[in-house]
Amino acid sequence: MNSMIRKIHILFFFLSAFTLVIRAAPGPESAKKWTISGSIRDKSNGEYLTGATIFVTELKTGTVSDLYGHYSMTLAEGSYTLQFSYIGYKTELRQVDLTSNRTINIDFDPSTENLKEVVVTSEQSNKNVARPEMSTFKMDIKTIKSIPSLMGEVDIIKAIQLLPGVQSVSEGGSGFSVRGGAPDQNLIILDEATVYNASHLMGFFSVFNNDAIKDVKLYKGDIPPMYGGRLSSVLDVRMKEGNSKRFEVTGGIGLIASRLTVEGPVWKDRISFVVSGRRTYADLFLPLSTEKALQNNKLYFYDLNAKINYRIDENNHLFLSGYFGRDVFKNTFAKMSWGNATGTIRWNHLFGKKLFGNFTFVYSDYRYLLGTPEGQTTSFEWNSNLRDAGVKGDFSYYVNPNNTLRFGVSGVYHMINPGVARGTGSESIYTEVIVPENFSLETGIYIGNEQKAGKHWTLKYGIRLSLFQNVGPGTIYNFDSLYNPIDSTVYASGDFYNSYYGIEPRLGILYTFNERSSIKASYSRTNQYLQLAQNSTAGTPLDIWFPASPNIKPQVSDQGAIGYFRNFLHNTIETSVEVYYKHMNNVIDFKDFAVLLLNEEIEGEVREGKGWSYGAEFLVRVTEKKFGGWISYTYSRSMRQIAEINNGDPYPAPYDKPHNIAIVGNYQFHPRWSVSANWVFATGNPATFPTGRAEIGGKVIPIYSDRNAYRYPDYNRLDLSITFSSKQREGRKFNWDINASVYNVYNRHNTWSVNFVQDTENSNVTHAEKVYLFGIVPSITFNFHF
Amino acid sequence: MNRLLFYILLLPILFTACTERIDISLDETYTRLVVDGGISNDTGAYGIYLTKTADYFFNEPAPRVVNAVAWLTDGSNEYLLSETDPGFSGLYQTDSSFAGQIGKTYTLNIELPEKIDDRTQYSSSCKMISVARLDSIAVTFQPDWGKKGFWEIKLWAQDPGDEVNYYMFHYYRNDTLMTDSIWKVSITDDRYFNGNYIYGATAVYINNDHYWETLRPGDKVKLQMSGITKEYYNFISQVREAGYSIPFFSGPPANVIGNISDGAVGFFSAYSDSWATTRVK
Repeated sequence: MNSMIRKIHILFFFLSAFTLVIRAAPGPESAKKWTISGSIRDKSNGEYLTGATIFVTELKTGTVSDLYGHYSMTLAEGSYTLQFSYIGYKTELRQVDLTSNRTINIDFDPSTENLKEVVVTSEQSNKNVARPEMSTFKMDIKTIKSIPSLMGEVDIIKAIQLLPGVQSVSEGGSGFSVRGGAPDQNLIILDEATVYNASHLMGFFSVFNNDAIKDVKLYKGDIPPMYGGRLSSVLDVRMKEGNSKRFEVTGGIGLIASRLTVEGPVWKDRISFVVSGRRTYADLFLPLSTEKALQNNKLYFYDLNAKINYRIDENNHLFLSGYFGRDVFKNTFAKMSWGNATGTIRWNHLFGKKLFGNFTFVYSDYRYLLGTPEGQTTSFEWNSNLRDAGVKGDFSYYVNPNNTLRFGVSGVYHMINPGVARGTGSESIYTEVIVPENFSLETGIYIGNEQKAGKHWTLKYGIRLSLFQNVGPGTIYNFDSLYNPIDSTVYASGDFYNSYYGIEPRLGILYTFNERSSIKASYSRTNQYLQLAQNSTAGTPLDIWFPASPNIKPQVSDQGAIGYFRNFLHNTIETSVEVYYKHMNNVIDFKDFAVLLLNEEIEGEVREGKGWSYGAEFLVRVTEKKFGGWISYTYSRSMRQIAEINNGDPYPAPYDKPHNIAIVGNYQFHPRWSVSANWVFATGNPATFPTGRAEIGGKVIPIYSDRNAYRYPDYNRLDLSITFSSKQREGRKFNWDINASVYNVYNRHNTWSVNFVQDTENSNVTHAEKVYLFGIVPSITFNFHF
Repeated sequence: MNRLLFYILLLPILFTACTERIDISLDETYTRLVVDGGISNDTGAYGIYLTKTADYFFNEPAPRVVNAVAWLTDGSNEYLLSETDPGFSGLYQTDSSFAGQIGKTYTLNIELPEKIDDRTQYSSSCKMISVARLDSIAVTFQPDWGKKGFWEIKLWAQDPGDEVNYYMFHYYRNDTLMTDSIWKVSITDDRYFNGNYIYGATAVYINNDHYWETLRPGDKVKLQMSGITKEYYNFISQVREAGYSIPFFSGPPANVIGNISDGAVGFFSAYSDSWATTRVK
């Protein structure tokens, strides 16, 4: 413990030294310097825009707006032409005579058809070439909405799965693997609150209602030091802030669900809100089923997003946002429900012109309940929940045009109740089974600088120190070398009985050849202290997250990547090639026939080892006025090696699918008509198949190959959709569109699982049988907006 | 509880999932010995089958291991098993006067006439565990489940509180054993009701849709409750899952864990029985 505190002290010292170095080296002090800062918004609804570029024409330098739409840069006294641009919006030019600190707020006009006569064409920015940021992908909600969807429910996570380096874990599911990592290695945050289970209805839908979402950004590597706690990726989902100019209603009616969103100003330009709700009604069709057991079933989900945003003054901004969602299943003999709730309170504050601060309190809760009605001998109820409460402080310090320093601290307290099952009612024969609750504290401190070094080079260097502590009360089981429990140790309340820390450097380097091409490299180390006990591929709502502990070491990943970026035709075509190698230590898997549910000795089921993955990702992305989309090809491998699994030999991870192609396109061929298509191809999932058989008690028992020695048949699928919209014209209040989409157009029976069964006529004969989930699935949705 | 879970979670899939037979070419593997059989504390002739493994799509009855020598020991006595049809059946039986004793550990010894997987000698041990007394049983009908409803055999018994118990249930309809295969028996542990009086809990579910196993009023139903070891309990549950994978629940497929020495497959079990009978109303 003492040595660790010493290390923290050393790190703090290092961090403060770091700051001094940057401050001491601001460049030649030739002239007076002034700061230009401000915020960038969408004129039509007052939403803040993240990632807008601000370009100083004379200096060929610039900056981008941060997550809250804020920017700041310090320049020498003089007169400049500033060019503000953002994809899909008309570029704004500003002449500035910089003789004092200036605030320039930009309200962007959405580029609609009637902007055509404007001389300034909507030049795309060359951000993907010029920014020292790689292995990331940002999508605005417009792009996501144009992708054909399953049952008409457009989904962020399904869109993410079409990106290079991202694999879907099972057909139709919300689980995804980033660069060979496990699905629980993705940090999914909604307005900074962790979403522990992003699935509705067994993963066929995600918890994100796209009417409430502004944009999403996925970090596959090169993860900024601001983020920590997961090995493989960060999926940062931001909710809309609500229109601060006027009231707006958006909605949709689909085959299985409907959505309604209301937003508007409470106090014009100062307070705005957005409330969005969604509910499925697929269960209304259940009474039509011939299966008696299904007729009394209820099966639905709903969710609610809300956000209030209060602009107190120029320097202070307050946000409150929340999400609540539940899946409900009920019939005469069982009930089940599960869902997430998250809450975020955020305060943005500008300390002068150069220092921007953001203070956040987050709460998140995931829980499930399972049970049978009272009054029977087998009546029971089973509860589990996971809660996080955390605080964060993040700061951006715009030191000078060449240095932007970001630093901050965070602390999250995890409260995990893995499960309590007990009999209900007087007739029940069940006693109580309690898996003890556990508590832990995860803290982090980080600092990073982005430094322009000369005309061609930009450097990014930072470090995150993470500290994880198990906090009492807690019960830790002790195991012998064969993982048999020997005894347990009980720790008192408030006892910090076990600690781990991680030093996580994050480095990046950018060399720009010219405005159209650049080369980038990055290295990042990440630590993960919480993991999901799941050894199946599709996953269920019955999630059990368990922390690092005296028995479980934290997972550590080192990833290096290098990429070449080149834009064509005024940045309307972006291309990139990235190669990466990732090594992971202490990755987890589970022993054969592991028992994960309601198991207080779950740590005895875990086996730890190493993993590695590597790959090459090729991307061509087109952003034209009428045509948008991308083509990606990924070659990747992902392996695991764990002493007690597969005789200690390396085996392919369940997400090891070497070839992956995605073609996504949207074409607006008429002012009122647009079509979208996507086609995906992926090598079949690795699988363990039987090579031999034994007969026991009349049943043929398979004798299996090495772990994942075989593969399912390759996966491919085409989806199409067509949208017909109401006439676009100035002053029209009510707009609508009808979207018809077809999932799996050529009705391919893609393998979901392969089973081996005995013939019903002749039990000596065995067959391989595949299970597929979806044939061709057409759907239609009506959307409106006023 | 787990079975219930299974039904609940699988429900959404029932709407959409379809199956289709596919051709898959599989590699070959080396041959292993397979042992299948057990003894109990009731007097009777108990049989052990010795067979060999084959390639997965062998599609014929398992090759029998004939002319082997097999015997049981319990530390003090030795019981020879004799092949029922020497040189042909591969079934090795005890004397019909054999009865195991609760608390003793039985060892099965096997000597093969020729090597399988490079050896001729195999063995296995299993302790015979006691079982609670079955006070009574009742048969009820649950019309709401499935297409035509389910029959339930319910039981009354005191679960011992000082130990973890594992139960296996067989049932007889008019003196015919209906659970004649390992995947038809029901099993449970007492984790959720340890030490409680089991007051009419369901031991066996019978699908009324299956004409070959359904019950009719007047049928005589006998329930056999056996106390089995944890290892045998795990073995049975693994056998039942074998070959099937449901991406929601199933971990990666793995070989079932038996209790035969030296890499042979299968299980030699020892268990004790308790009985109760009723008539269907």
